[in-house]
Amino acid sequence: MTLLSLTGIESGPWITLLDGELPSEGDSIAVPIARLLEEGVSAFATAGALGAAVPTGTSFAELEEVVRSLTFVAIEFSAFGDGRGFSLAVRLRKDMGFKGEIRAVGPVMPDQAQFLLRSGFDSVEITDESRVGAFRVSLERFNEFYQTDYMGARSIAHARHGISQ
Amino acid sequence: MYAYDKFDRSLVDIRVAEFRDQVERRVKGDLTEEEFRPIRLMNGLYLQLHAYMLRVAVPYGTMSGDQMRRLAHIARKYDKGYGHFTTRQNIQFNWPKLSETPDILAELADVEMHAIQTSGNCIRNVTSDQFAGATADEIADPRPYAELLRQWSSFHPEFSFLPRKFKFAITGADQDRAAVKWHDIGLIVRKNDAGEIGFEVIVGGGMGRTPVIGKTIREFLPEKDFLSYQEAILRVYNEQGRRDNKYKARIKILVEAMGAEEFARQVEVEWEKIKDSHIDVPQEEVARIQAFFQPPELANQDATSAVTSEFAKKNFIFASWLQNNTNAHKVQGYVNITISLKPHGGIPGDASAEQMDLVAALSDEYSQSEIRVSHEQNLILPHVALKDLPAIWADLDEAGLGTANVGLLTDMIVCPGLDYCALANARSIPIAQAITKRFDDMKRLQDIGPIKVKMSGCINACGHHHAGHIGILGVDRKGQEMYQLLLGGSGAEDATKAAILGPGFDEHGIVDALEKVVAVYLGVREDGEEFLSTYRRIGAQVFKEAVYDAA
Ligand code: SF4
Repeated sequence: MTLLSLTGIESGPWITLLDGELPSEGDSIAVPIARLLEEGVSAFATAGALGAAVPTGTSFAELEEVVRSLTFVAIEFSAFGDGRGFSLAVRLRKDMGFKGEIRAVGPVMPDQAQFLLRSGFDSVEITDESRVGAFRVSLERFNEFYQTDYMGARSIAHARHGISQ
Repeated sequence: MYAYDKFDRSLVDIRVAEFRDQVERRVKGDLTEEEFRPIRLMNGLYLQLHAYMLRVAVPYGTMSGDQMRRLAHIARKYDKGYGHFTTRQNIQFNWPKLSETPDILAELADVEMHAIQTSGNCIRNVTSDQFAGATADEIADPRPYAELLRQWSSFHPEFSFLPRKFKFAITGADQDRAAVKWHDIGLIVRKNDAGEIGFEVIVGGGMGRTPVIGKTIREFLPEKDFLSYQEAILRVYNEQGRRDNKYKARIKILVEAMGAEEFARQVEVEWEKIKDSHIDVPQEEVARIQAFFQPPELANQDATSAVTSEFAKKNFIFASWLQNNTNAHKVQGYVNITISLKPHGGIPGDASAEQMDLVAALSDEYSQSEIRVSHEQNLILPHVALKDLPAIWADLDEAGLGTANVGLLTDMIVCPGLDYCALANARSIPIAQAITKRFDDMKRLQDIGPIKVKMSGCINACGHHHAGHIGILGVDRKGQEMYQLLLGGSGAEDATKAAILGPGFDEHGIVDALEKVVAVYLGVREDGEEFLSTYRRIGAQVFKEAVYDAA
């Protein structure tokens, strides 16, 4: 398994906590969101850094309850066609102002690299290492976009008129 | 017409390179078929019954003569010499080879065309009024807004993997020729009391196995908020649209389940969060796009043409064509003509490479090199001088394109059905051909008057049977192809769902039943009353008795 940074910023390693498992003091841990909501953020106060493992079916409202205590979020795609993962990242960035790392986990495709980046993901966990090259190529594919991204970055429509934001 | 700048050009060129790379990776086995599927679909490439099928976008149904010539070239070089125009104002090629599809896309990119998002669970090609910018009954040309939608929705990072496909339609006219109430989002250009442009927003319409007529969730959306509001709708849909069952995944199901009012409320909540985040383009950009759609400068013409009237007196078919296949233009002495792709006995929506070339040549000579495709699977030459009609019709007629049946019974919308489609239950093309044979007499057709017959080869309803004045639906009954008859639908501003009349028929019975329905209508209609009005006045029962009692 390879961790690929989409943004160029080094991403931190962390452990995803299994059911019932307790973190060792100081560990960076990703806790499944259901458990985090059930046990409360304070139950994991000894963790070095606290993150959430968020399946794509998680509602935005649930995520909002805990987002302030998180330093990173792993969005778990059930399938590459599950577009809710992109929306979760956009919500985290745009609506909730989340600044920590967002990682894509699960069966995302190399061809989705720019969608991930432009929705707010920082990194992607790649299970099949032979695909890292394809991810890198895809990440460089387009250089201008019709839409502003999650940060409201300049779109083609703005570039055409020399307008920057 | 919209023309690409370096940005648009670069995007389609890169897209072609990307697809070439993806096809190579698929051929080498680096991409699984499961992964390749959404990729090829987003480039319009389907795997059909016999071969691949490539669906090329004609954005909002507008294209140039040069673009049409390129389609003819592709039909000749990569296909069997013809193409099929669809209800989404697209064109489909039924026989391309996978290995050649990147070349086809490159040929398209060369004339500013593409197949981007003509399929897949993403925002599809936006459709519009085929007479946009040229019709007398229009508030404003909807195409600049359709182009804004095209750009905003192309490779949208958040909305490229929706629960299901997503279709927009937009019109700027009072008369709805774009079936906006039957789309995931339908938009009608409106003007408020201050004379400002805005949009009525309709959501949750759709055909398929659960036909639903869209509901208005906003009466007037200001132009400056156009895109951010669409994004808010997509936000709600992408989060909450069902993903567990593809038959329940369209937005119509969500809107029905939630109720239109609650849906509208949630959209407003989302919209408040994002409306100021630069989703909408700068005003300069709206103006830039609008400039491409300025009405053409047309020479002054008399309101009537002696040449044309004289010819019509001598030639009954031309007189019918003049009556049925032309539509009033904004400018005196001009019309928009509809070229019927429904020749009797032919395949509805098909055009040969030679016919495409002819239409391209006629557009250069008579219609400012502009061509339109209608969702009713016909071609349009807009801005044509009345005096030129006899010459144009003569050329069309010689090429088998002179059929005078637009809006009449044989101008049917027909899906490809079992002859091509992998999902079909029954053939639709041979039924259409049998109907045109039965109703081959132009005088009789003219007497029957305006009537919309729409036929689908299965419940997916690509042939819009729910919206047909008369709808025909192919079903499979224990391995036998059967056809159900529906009456009373409408795809226009008075949208209604057609209702099934009774038990289905075999391929001969359905044509007989159709004929009986028409006979009832002719017997009871009041002066000048069109079929749909008669049906609405007298109801289904009389038709039912006539169709089933005699059987
Ligand atoms: S209605 Fe059915 S048969 Fe016809 S094109 Fe659509 S899926 Fe195929």
